[in-house]
Amino acid sequence: MTALAIRMARQVRDRINMPASFFVAIALFALFALTVPRFATSGNAENVLRVASILCVVACGQAIVLILGGIEFSFGSSVALASIVTVLVVPDYGVMGGFAAGAAVVLLIGVLNGALIARFHLPPFIVTLGMLMAVAGLAATLAGGLPIDAPPSEAFSWPARGRVLGVPVPVIAAGASVGTLFLVLAYSTIGRLWYLVGANPEAARLSGIRVRTTIFLGYLAASAFCALAAIILTSRVGSGQPSLAPNLPFETIAACAIGGIPLAGGQGRASQVLCGVLIIAMMNNAVVLLNFPVAYQQLMIGAVILGSVLLQKSSGSIGVLWRSSVPKRGGR
Amino acid sequence: MTAPPLLTMTGIAKHYGATCALRDASLRLYPGRVHALLGENGAGKSTLVKMIVGVVRPDGGTITFGDAAVAFRTVRDAVAAGIIPIYQHLSLFPQLTILENLSAFAFGATRDLRASSATLSIEQARAWLSSVGLERDPMTLVEEISIGERQLVEIARGLGQACKVLILDEPTAALTQDETERLFTVVRSLCAQGTAVLFISHKFDEIDSIADDVTILRDGRTVVDGAPIRSLTRDELVRAMLGEAVATGSRELPPPGDVLVEARGLRLHATAEPIDMGIRAGEIVGLAGLVGSGALDIASALAGATPVASGTLLVAGDVIPFGDRHTASKKGIGYVPSDRHLQGLFPVLTAMQNASASSLKVISRRGVVREQAESDRLLPWLRRLKLHPLKTELPAASFSGGNQQKLLMARNLALPGLRVLVVLEPTRGVDIAARETIHQAIIEAALKGVAVLLASSDLDEIEALSHRILVVRQGRISQELPRGTARGALVSALAERDAA
Repeated sequence: MTALAIRMARQVRDRINMPASFFVAIALFALFALTVPRFATSGNAENVLRVASILCVVACGQAIVLILGGIEFSFGSSVALASIVTVLVVPDYGVMGGFAAGAAVVLLIGVLNGALIARFHLPPFIVTLGMLMAVAGLAATLAGGLPIDAPPSEAFSWPARGRVLGVPVPVIAAGASVGTLFLVLAYSTIGRLWYLVGANPEAARLSGIRVRTTIFLGYLAASAFCALAAIILTSRVGSGQPSLAPNLPFETIAACAIGGIPLAGGQGRASQVLCGVLIIAMMNNAVVLLNFPVAYQQLMIGAVILGSVLLQKSSGSIGVLWRSSVPKRGGR
Repeated sequence: MTAPPLLTMTGIAKHYGATCALRDASLRLYPGRVHALLGENGAGKSTLVKMIVGVVRPDGGTITFGDAAVAFRTVRDAVAAGIIPIYQHLSLFPQLTILENLSAFAFGATRDLRASSATLSIEQARAWLSSVGLERDPMTLVEEISIGERQLVEIARGLGQACKVLILDEPTAALTQDETERLFTVVRSLCAQGTAVLFISHKFDEIDSIADDVTILRDGRTVVDGAPIRSLTRDELVRAMLGEAVATGSRELPPPGDVLVEARGLRLHATAEPIDMGIRAGEIVGLAGLVGSGALDIASALAGATPVASGTLLVAGDVIPFGDRHTASKKGIGYVPSDRHLQGLFPVLTAMQNASASSLKVISRRGVVREQAESDRLLPWLRRLKLHPLKTELPAASFSGGNQQKLLMARNLALPGLRVLVVLEPTRGVDIAARETIHQAIIEAALKGVAVLLASSDLDEIEALSHRILVVRQGRISQELPRGTARGALVSALAERDAA
């Protein structure tokens, strides 16, 4: 009976070629819809998506770095520095100039990370951790320790509160990010190179691939996603804040891990990022709706990370569902 | 040899997944004799040693020690029974004193957490050290003494236990002549007291001077089982290690054209003698050498895979920098590395993605990989190499060793503008059918005018495929032999005394 159920579940999954975390997300949605009041309403759905959008955009960048076998922590302070630079630049160069400057700052940090990691063979863990701290210090210095308010304007709040055809702009940005990530990973040459270098850098080098350039471009692309998120985040808080989103890197790593991307490199898909983000967002939302203390959020996310990693390792009955009977293609 | 053997291993087998490390290995150690264990890398020596001390459990076969069958579960059990392994990589703690190191086994055996309870007395330590001929203050830090002295400390530590079997795994690799002599003196006196010694080494001179008996492993099988060392000549030893010539039909090789790739004044190390060599279009040059001879290093340098001290690399007259695989592959130099898993395979990626890794430029347009072009380019190669199963969407890790090797061959045969093919150990750990297919592919590449450099420790392979054979000893090309050279002459060239 169980065997049959597992086989059927596997067939269904293979047909639509979804990551295992997709089924966890569906199951979670069903559970919350049945047990949590007001969870399955259209208003709440929009709320969940809006809250999840920034995490989703940045997690797309984190996924690229994880596929490369690296890790990226500096997102946490680079968005803070970007918000401060944006707010400082807006009075002289306008809203567009401000956002452009903020995005440029994030890209510059990506360039620095990529150069240090690729050119000098430094471990990504240390480089991005050092960058996280150094940039946090720079942001605090620049802001003088306190948040700086942006001059309020329609244009400034558009990235966070605007709508296009009724859809919130952040949700559009998140959708575009996942879509772009999917296309790049599944079809592009650079996506293929990221998989190759992440799967075995030495074999990639001996195959004639420019490993350094590939790694550099990966960190640059990751920072591009982060730059987009920085604009939305700055717009939402309407100010430059030295401690804007300190947990961002950890949440993005959590989202990728829950989605099923192994930290060993060489594997990972856009759909996994999306599922991981949705699982986190739904849990956070359910905790709020149930009026549980917010601290429960962390407890639950922590438990889900450990649980999902354990599931992917396990060879027990649930592990059978997890392992694919048809192997995954790198990019799908 | 009247005494019964102290340690007997018979019919030992061990598989790691699909690869077979040992098929039918046996070994008999007698008290009071030094037993040499020989074999090329991958023959199964280290697996056999790990079984004696309980690190690896055999899949089949029996091990008897004394009168009883044994299966040690940990090194600690083996040591307690009197089997003392001394590894090639020393297992001392450099920041601790000699005394503390000598006490290490005792620490491992006790459950008492107080350090004093298991520490030797200074007098005891002195006695142990002098038994191996080492006059050192036991309070000296291990990092302050020489490698040779450390080896002696390690032996002294083993002797503190009741040592019945001493295992020396390439003990002299880092020793000076003097230190080696000292070690041998200790080994001989141990033997006189009835210890059985297992001695693993690649140095024939040492084996001649210390060993009484010899066992030779090839491909996981014991091919010489405890013969007295005096009964075999050096040529016979090498031949047993490398394998008798299997009757391979001599193949038709294409006539070579002009020189296509050339190394001038190549020095792998600043102190090495320069090497000059060239390979013609359509020519297969075999690079033969024993383990550690440098044959593989020369080959990978010519593929642009490793940096060198100095020299010039020319392909069809164009200078290519050493150590730059990207440029080399752009110039049409294919490279099949010797270590499939570490250097060749992308285990989690699909067979197709593995095969196309060097062809991305030509199968992409405007930054997009065209899957049709990818399959059009690679599938014919995978078919011709008889990839089994021919399911290109399976991850490379799920294929057998021989088929993984075919993926690497396909990657390089499909290299855009392939002109030079450098292949290292192309059929190591590969079954006979796959080996035949890979050999055929190499010859076909040569027929198309590709210059092939084949570095292999498999003499049958070298003889079957090469137009001419370059013999490498001590990092330089010592001899060039024409096709059809008798196996005896080739083996002699390889085994020639290093001192001569």
